[in-house]
Amino acid sequence: MSLPLHLRSYREKSKDELTRDFFNVPLQASLPGPSDPPFVVKMRERPYRSGQEELQSMDINAVISVEGKEEVYAGRLSLLPPFLCFISLDRKSCRCTIPLYTIRRVERLNSRAGVFALSLATWHGMRIILQLTSLLPTAEHFAILLRDALKSQLAAMKQLKPFLPSLYSEYLLSSPVSSAAGQQQTNDHLLLGTELNEKAGNVGTEAESDLRGPGGEGKGIYQRGLGEQFGFPGDARKMRERSKMKLWREYFMIHGRNLTLLRYPPFQRLLQVGLPSRLRGELWEVMSGSVYLRFANPETYGLLLSQNAGKSSQSTDEIEKDLNRSLPEYKAYQTEEGLARLRRVLVAYSFRNPELGYCQALNIVVAGLLIYMSEEQAFWLLEVLCDRILPGYYSPSMEGTLLDQRVFESLVHRCLPMIQEHFVSVDVQISVASLPWFLSLYINSMPLIFAFRIVDCVLAMGVKVLFQIGLAVLKINGEALLEVTDDGMFINLMRSYFATIGDSAHPDHPDPRVRAITNFQELLVVAFREFNVITDETITAERKRLRAIISDEIEKFSKRAAVRNLKNIGKFSKDQIGIIYDHYFSAICSPEAGPSTYSGNAQPLSGDQFDQPRIQVDAQGRVETRIDHRTFRVFISQIATWAREETVTTNAFIQRTDRRVADHELIDRLFFAWDSQDQGTLALQDVVLGLNRVMTAGLMESIEWFFELHDKDKDGFLTKDEVIQLSESLLFIFRNEPGDIYLAAVSKFILNAYEFGDATAPEGSVDERIPIDGDKETASGARERSNSSAGPHNLPYLNLATFRMVVLADELLENFFANDLTASFQLEQTGDEDYHQAHQRSEGLLGGLMNLVVTNENKNRLNRLADGFGAALGKHAEWRKPALSKTIEPSTSGDLRARESLLTPAQQAGQFQRQRSSSAVSQTSTKTVESTTTVGTPDEKRSLADVEARYREESQMVKAAQEAVMHRPNFAIDAIGDSDDEEGAEGEGEEDVMDEVEAFLKAHGDDDSGLKGEQKKVAEDLLKAEPMGRYQGKKKESADLVDL
Amino acid sequence: MSEETPVKAVQVKLVLLGEAAVGKSSLVLRFCQGDFNENTSPTIGAAFLTQKCRLENRIVKFEIWDTAGQERFHSLAPMYYRNAQAAVVVYDITKAASLEKAKAWVKELQRQANANIVIALVGNKLDLVSDTSSTPAPPASAESPAEDEEDSSEEPSSTPSPAENESDDARQVSTAEAEAYAKESGLLFFEASAKTGHNVGEIFTEIAKTIPFDTISPKPTTSQSANRRSGANNGENNNVNLGEGQQAKKGGCC
Ligand SMILES: Nc1nc2c(ncn2[C@@H]2O[C@H](COP(=O)(O)OP(=O)(O)OP(=O)(O)O)[C@@H](O)[C@H]2O)c(=O)[nH]1
Ligand SMILES: [Mg+2]
Repeated sequence: MSLPLHLRSYREKSKDELTRDFFNVPLQASLPGPSDPPFVVKMRERPYRSGQEELQSMDINAVISVEGKEEVYAGRLSLLPPFLCFISLDRKSCRCTIPLYTIRRVERLNSRAGVFALSLATWHGMRIILQLTSLLPTAEHFAILLRDALKSQLAAMKQLKPFLPSLYSEYLLSSPVSSAAGQQQTNDHLLLGTELNEKAGNVGTEAESDLRGPGGEGKGIYQRGLGEQFGFPGDARKMRERSKMKLWREYFMIHGRNLTLLRYPPFQRLLQVGLPSRLRGELWEVMSGSVYLRFANPETYGLLLSQNAGKSSQSTDEIEKDLNRSLPEYKAYQTEEGLARLRRVLVAYSFRNPELGYCQALNIVVAGLLIYMSEEQAFWLLEVLCDRILPGYYSPSMEGTLLDQRVFESLVHRCLPMIQEHFVSVDVQISVASLPWFLSLYINSMPLIFAFRIVDCVLAMGVKVLFQIGLAVLKINGEALLEVTDDGMFINLMRSYFATIGDSAHPDHPDPRVRAITNFQELLVVAFREFNVITDETITAERKRLRAIISDEIEKFSKRAAVRNLKNIGKFSKDQIGIIYDHYFSAICSPEAGPSTYSGNAQPLSGDQFDQPRIQVDAQGRVETRIDHRTFRVFISQIATWAREETVTTNAFIQRTDRRVADHELIDRLFFAWDSQDQGTLALQDVVLGLNRVMTAGLMESIEWFFELHDKDKDGFLTKDEVIQLSESLLFIFRNEPGDIYLAAVSKFILNAYEFGDATAPEGSVDERIPIDGDKETASGARERSNSSAGPHNLPYLNLATFRMVVLADELLENFFANDLTASFQLEQTGDEDYHQAHQRSEGLLGGLMNLVVTNENKNRLNRLADGFGAALGKHAEWRKPALSKTIEPSTSGDLRARESLLTPAQQAGQFQRQRSSSAVSQTSTKTVESTTTVGTPDEKRSLADVEARYREESQMVKAAQEAVMHRPNFAIDAIGDSDDEEGAEGEGEEDVMDEVEAFLKAHGDDDSGLKGEQKKVAEDLLKAEPMGRYQGKKKESADLVDL
Repeated sequence: MSEETPVKAVQVKLVLLGEAAVGKSSLVLRFCQGDFNENTSPTIGAAFLTQKCRLENRIVKFEIWDTAGQERFHSLAPMYYRNAQAAVVVYDITKAASLEKAKAWVKELQRQANANIVIALVGNKLDLVSDTSSTPAPPASAESPAEDEEDSSEEPSSTPSPAENESDDARQVSTAEAEAYAKESGLLFFEASAKTGHNVGEIFTEIAKTIPFDTISPKPTTSQSANRRSGANNGENNNVNLGEGQQAKKGGCC
């Protein structure tokens, strides 16, 4: 049984991380070199580093223009080393992520006064002009940071050349336009709008057969998927592959390609008509950003495979089971070659991310990817999927899946309230159908050719697409859904809808062009038009709102399962077991238990959120959560009163109790005694049985287990040393008891033990009687003497019967073993029920204030401050809570003074100050509250304003969404243009594709929000501007390429 | 009530549970479509199928939820077994560990599912072992005859063909052991093969016969479910996916 430990270490992403996510920029660009373990180190806390120096991120306002392009866009330029990213103001028209290692040259342009402009020349010969429109000093600062970041990329630049041939677009643009068009060897392909494809049509058969563009088996060294060998799904002609390829080719020539690809409005349109098969894999990795990881980690995939060759694990077993069950209808997966690729990618990833391992559905997703991508490409895309695009979807507790299902339901509730209400009334859960949609990216839900078009959009636009499509599916089937009365009808309805998704949406329409519109096209239009109100921010906000609920549910669920799976619960009630579980779990999560692994190695390995040693694999090869002895100390401190130090501090302001985990051999003895299988760790079951024994024990049983605890060799005898150790254990338990009586009892115990021991010990264990020095014997005194005496200390000496006799000879000890010891184990509620919701709430209105104080650091600071004041005022006092007696107020205990000799000087000092005035306490404690209030106010106000703003934003959005749904206009697609006879290759022109494209263009409204007028003029001028004078000459040294 | 009108089908919600790849989907496919497919996809979340089953006095329409077997899908299972009247818990007789998992499912169902749920324990892939230890008759009727075969498994050479020999070794769960467990836990018990179809129909027929139809209310009360959903905002008791908690309440409707 493994427990969902990671949920409590979850934290929301920082702004910087969100920006990086938005631009698909990895959080860390490069991995350790090939000699290091090939894991990506997830250092979320730290900013990006390169070597020693730290490269700063920076945002600035800018205007972008590209040579050869009309449009000019204003927006935000972000330097996220080693990337330069831009997003236009409307956040959709223009967007780019340029790795700095693809920039060949940067120059500051000599232009009108007051205009700070940079000219970037990329590897692919594009010239991008960036006009930094912030204040001049800001722009200059940005330029300096950019220069530093560029310099750090010199090494990476060298790797670019060998890397690029792995990309199909390089082959596409370097090869003659049409693979067979021998007569087309000219540079025609550099011109726009050539009609090469048409001409190529009547040349060789090869061209005829390859409608998917140049390339294919044996041509070019670009990385390719199984499709090149086994055929891509779908009819190339019907999918207008050749036209699409041509359009992309043209797009690449102006807007850059692969690593330098810019997203301008046509990109969105080309994307939404479906990517051409041969280019799909590359575009997937470019759009998702996984290509940056592949670029930066050229060795990792191979190393993961070679270093783990032959290893097996639970994940590899599970993968093996599913290999034959992954898109078996696709030819390649009926061959060893296809299965081997699938196996390698899944296995490599399971070693790369052992915490996640393998999750069913990944086999289907990866099987889909591998049709279009090489193993290595698919591997890195899988990484990005699991890590960023679908976070937590495939983790062992699948919290991301559960969360997004809840988010989806909540969006249905907002956008399609009628459907939601109906489903509630017939008690059908939407997730019974929608969960597989999300988990397999619709690949398992609809015919592959359509599912991959959804994947195209998800990888380009993020997870919101899954929601938009899901909502559109429900909306389109709205009427039928209102007839649904049970799960079965719902599932069947969805199934038959997806089965006919390629059919005409309007089969009876008189207009053939309308008839040609498929259900799928309609789905996309509804999804992207009507549900474009669902943005990344919507999803983020909803996830944030619902995460705590899901986390609590998962924790409760695993609690129930863990409790249920216990083989033996002893005499405990179910509630008590629940409490034990809570302590067990919270001990694991507590910071005191600490990460036990990182000794020496400063950088935690991947999967650092959980601690490897706490997870063990059980006999059946299953992962199991167990606790080590450090965590056990935390655990037992929550249960046994003597296993913690409770210091009650009274200072000038308040009285508070600090709990610390105590440290004594006794606790470790308990740990090893409960570790029945000598594993060095305890499972929940061990802990339950251990507690069962000590908590149900009567007098005799208590004496017995306490005896056994100290009988290391389990021969039924304590040695002399062990007698002393046992006494020390007793003293440890009694350490905070007021008065001398316990000390006296232990002293007497030692004396008696030796006396009776000598009489009953086996032959040869006793050499010399220990002289008794009267009643003033102390434990340490006895030990000293027993050490000095010549007798062997490690021979069997005291047996259980004698021990029992000695104990029973003392009333106090008898009482201790009869009652106190058992009672010192207390099962109190941890207050961890709904842990996450409780913690989340504290971010709310009042909680913001609480949070300020409640974070541990602040609390400590406040306490230190208060202590300082208290000391200054002479009102600081501390005392230790005793383990056995009920809280005894120190002042009421008469013989406190008698023990002063045992206290450290510091404690003594405090003791005299215990006589505090209680009125002073109550007075000043109100002061504390006041002072925290003042501290809290500014932040509190800000967070309130935030909340309010978000609320307003959200409610507006909801309104907009509802409006959109209420007035659903005619589909723009109704106006779709000619649909030619698809049989004739000649008839296939890009106009057809563009018709489809037009539909989207209209559906998306006016997306040409580029700049106009004067601003545009400035940008155009810049294209002609010269670089600043003194930097003009061409420089070969790459270090000098940066001319700023 | 509903059994007075034998013409009309009674709906029975049935859920299949068990470790990954023990053959749950294959059993359903065999039962619903009389078919077997070596390469089925693993179930994602759950799959849904229906099949009618004719008894002497009524027609039972099974609404079958075939769930995903991998451990991490476990937390989704309550979504599918809530309100189920019957459960088929499947293990693979060639994999001892799968019986352990089956036992865990039974335990969970008995605690969290409908109080009156009828549970059948099914050992699948019978075709992979030779017939020495399984009785020719359906195991359901065989109360305890397989007792001694367990010991005789040491001499597998009793079967002539070497291929059979090998498959004989494949058995890791003896009929006797599983049957004893089923009996003690009050489960129906079968050994079956989705591949050959052996005993598959019997599982469902027997379940149909065992379900106490007079106690089935036609639909769960909607007031409670509305209650459950409306929690979306107050965060209480809206266990959509992990809702084991409400089973106790639901059980009360019978
Ligand atoms: N020989 C044999 N193989 C079987 C039988 N039933 C299923 N299988 C095989 O076992 C594998 C798994 O079958 P599934 O039905 O997909 O298993 P499942 O329990 O639904 O698995 P999940 O959906 O992952 O939980 C497939 O390769 C089947 O061909 C059987 O009766 N005999
Ligand atoms: Mg299945």
